[in-house]
Amino acid sequence: MAPKDTSIIAAGTVIRGRIQSDGDLEIHGHVEGTVEVAGHLVVGPDGMVKSDLAAQSVVVAGAVSGNLRGSERVVLEDGARVVGDVSAPSIGIRPGAKLRGRVATGEAPAAEARPARSPAAAVASKSTARQAPVVAPPPRVAAKVSAPPVTKPAATPPAVRAEAAPKRAPEPVVPALQKRTKKAQKRRAR
Amino acid sequence: MAATVIGPGITIEGEVSSDDEVIVGGTLRGKLESEGAVTVEGDAVVEADIAAQSVAIGGHVTGNVTANDRVDLLSGGRLVGDVKAARLTIADGAVFKGNVDMEV
Repeated sequence: MAPKDTSIIAAGTVIRGRIQSDGDLEIHGHVEGTVEVAGHLVVGPDGMVKSDLAAQSVVVAGAVSGNLRGSERVVLEDGARVVGDVSAPSIGIRPGAKLRGRVATGEAPAAEARPARSPAAAVASKSTARQAPVVAPPPRVAAKVSAPPVTKPAATPPAVRAEAAPKRAPEPVVPALQKRTKKAQKRRAR
Repeated sequence: MAATVIGPGITIEGEVSSDDEVIVGGTLRGKLESEGAVTVEGDAVVEADIAAQSVAIGGHVTGNVTANDRVDLLSGGRLVGDVKAARLTIADGAVFKGNVDMEV
């Protein structure tokens, strides 16, 4: 049926643990653990994966809860449901695919390297008159790229503020209403 | 149709359970359960207890083998572990070390 290098985890098969392959792998069953494939990895429409996936190319049509890393590419097909971060030099997300997580195209080390260079560029731009507007955007982009660790902690404070905000908001509103009502009462009294 | 194939280049450390046929050509450490047939091919290395409907061993298996139906130790097969099955065949050239329980 399939080439000898291709391993198939059929529907109805459950694997818990670590999977490592030199060849290709198709997942149509349930997998929990870690998956590292040297070749192509396919998660079929019925596949359910709760693990990080790393392969040359990753094609997902099923459900994955974990990070996807492709040394060549990652493709999310129609019907794919992915909760996790996706990183690969080339990423494809087809209409109908659902994704919740961060996406990073290109090499991850290169993205990490940019912030290190950008401050130097910013310093250089300060010393060399006002070319800053031209040079400034890269650091901002770099900051966004390097932001991921910060984004999660940053996500909670706004939530706290959001919770705090409603508490503050009603206070002015209610006294204002009361004042109005008092004024109105006075007016009515008059 | 819905056979699970663990190919020659693959290594699995953990638990595999299936409601259908499983063919092992690679390396498996841990545990293997199947409601169908399990085939351990020539180059396969299995260091796991195997429980299945039937088990055919052509590769190396270290672990206890339990089958509802039958266990076939093929020529070139090597089994170190106990066998519990209704029927057992050991082909000429197979290597086997362990106890056999055929529920006599």
